[in-house]
Amino acid sequence: MTALQIIFLITAVITLGAAAMVVITRNLVHAALWLIMTFFGISVLYVLLNAGFLAVAQVVIYIGAISILMIFAIMLTRRVQQDFGPQTNAAWPWALVIAAALFGGLIWIFSGWGNFFTQAPVMGERADPLRQLGMALVSPEQYVIPFEVASVMLTAALIGAIMVAWERK
Amino acid sequence: MNVQDLYAISPLIVLVTWATLLILVDVYIIRDRNGGTPILAALGLLVAMGFAIAQTGQQYTAFNGMAVVDGFAIFLQVLFLGSGLVGIALAYNYLQRMGIERSEYYILLLYSISGMMLMAIAADLIVVFLALELLSIPLYVLAGFGRPKVEPEEAALKYFLLGAFAGGFVVYGIALAFGATATTSLAGIVQAVNAGSANLTLLSIGAALILIGLGFKVAAVPFHMWTPDVYQGAPSAVTAFMSVGAKAGGFAALLRVFVSALPELAADLSPVLWVLAALTMILGNVVAIAQGNIKRLLAYSSIAHAGYILMALVVFGNTQVSSDAVAAALFYLVAYAVTSFGAWAVVIALEKAEQKGLALDDYAGLGRKYPGLAAAMAVFMLSFTGVPPTLGFVGKLYLFRTVLEGGFIWLAVIGVLTSLVSAYYYLRIVVIMYMRDGDPQVHAEPWLRLTAGVTAVATVVLSLYAGPLFAWASQAVLKLF
Repeated sequence: MTALQIIFLITAVITLGAAAMVVITRNLVHAALWLIMTFFGISVLYVLLNAGFLAVAQVVIYIGAISILMIFAIMLTRRVQQDFGPQTNAAWPWALVIAAALFGGLIWIFSGWGNFFTQAPVMGERADPLRQLGMALVSPEQYVIPFEVASVMLTAALIGAIMVAWERK
Repeated sequence: MNVQDLYAISPLIVLVTWATLLILVDVYIIRDRNGGTPILAALGLLVAMGFAIAQTGQQYTAFNGMAVVDGFAIFLQVLFLGSGLVGIALAYNYLQRMGIERSEYYILLLYSISGMMLMAIAADLIVVFLALELLSIPLYVLAGFGRPKVEPEEAALKYFLLGAFAGGFVVYGIALAFGATATTSLAGIVQAVNAGSANLTLLSIGAALILIGLGFKVAAVPFHMWTPDVYQGAPSAVTAFMSVGAKAGGFAALLRVFVSALPELAADLSPVLWVLAALTMILGNVVAIAQGNIKRLLAYSSIAHAGYILMALVVFGNTQVSSDAVAAALFYLVAYAVTSFGAWAVVIALEKAEQKGLALDDYAGLGRKYPGLAAAMAVFMLSFTGVPPTLGFVGKLYLFRTVLEGGFIWLAVIGVLTSLVSAYYYLRIVVIMYMRDGDPQVHAEPWLRLTAGVTAVATVVLSLYAGPLFAWASQAVLKLF
């Protein structure tokens, strides 16, 4: 077993475990935090696949933007972070059957596709759009001003959002 | 990167850093949430203003053409910072009196001003767009600062929805301009147009969309519908700041983009601007006559004044006149800012809770009971109308002169005629104040008195010494290349 495979297995376990926790936990904020863990695991998978750009996009967009948005939405709109009712309803065996069928169907379709079991060629090292993108965003010769101003704008928007959503006592 | 790049945006850096630190200082050090924050915010504006003034006379682009330091940028930054100071002075007691005192007001105000300053130094369409959003987003929140009452919420929601809509137009226009020229830099657009590599039709459509988006911001007809409701519903101190700052920010972008980057499109766009300016002047002034609420009246008045400033933009393609036109527009912005802030100070002094004290009839008897305040208001109304010796008169004089130099005689005629129409509703307020009996209730706190007094004196005195101010505005020629 190579080091890469060990890392993959650990990441996979953590990702799936975190994904399960998103559903199981009763605390909404905790669920959102577990979701961030899941996203992070997926981005590690992208790194293992040598897809650097996707990995960074995963971190920036899913972890950086969407999860934070969720946490803010939960914190600003709900007074109670915890749900107490039962987490399942009467139809849960049917849901299990449908989910299992869907999973089996997907596996069946993929196994019929010839390329599923062949290893994809490794992408060239030279094609590195990430580096160019990163340099462009922080280079004073290119987009550092828009980049920094966007962060200032988001700070202002955040303060504004709290102002708007805060219940006045 | 060199130090000069950072020096170019030093006023902006100072203000943004100050605003961000002020959040922490406000929460952890000041704590009582109404004492030192306004003073610290005002201090930050003064420091940033010092940095801006220190740049006087310089001219260069920074960050590889993203930002530019020139007379135009410095002039406008000083104007924005000054309007921020007045915005704080107007709000200080007003927020307490209305029971909506929260220190976020001052922090959001600082952020909004930093957006306006960025607008003044922007030399790239991406920066223009980000500046537009940075100045708008805090204003959406400030417009709804009187929550949870109905009117401020309505104002905030209307302003937010139409503002977001307008932002969409601007982005779309920028995308088309990029498609037409393969660049978003203003200098690059000019080069592409001169080299003949630009698709002029596409560029015209893009410019028209940018014009629509910014037209919302400056409240030009037919993109003005939000103005009366938002101005009426927002807290008056916010309205005052919005009517000056947001409008000047929008005009900063319009002047910068159209005069410096798009003069080649004048054949297509000048007639459009002509119609916009004429419609804005006519509709703003005519509908203002029918208003019985002072905040709505001033809203329509601000629409009308946007029309006058748009006149300067009509000549943007004529390179001989356009630098004069920019100077005239800047001068008029100053005249409008001083007069408008003064008028809003008087409005705030008479306003009572629950939207009371805002009818024109509430001004009856002001002349007898509070002669100082009434005299100040009379000065502002005369300045709005354009009667000498006030700043409004000198501003209109410069504007009409450049329009005539540009050869748009009928537009100047429309401007003069609508000014005559405006005399009816402005002078009606003066008549109500002095000729009718009444018992006005006034809360003239020191800062309000000071603002009203200083702006009234400035309106008259600056008009007598208008030459130096106009000379300063004339140095504010746009230099990008």
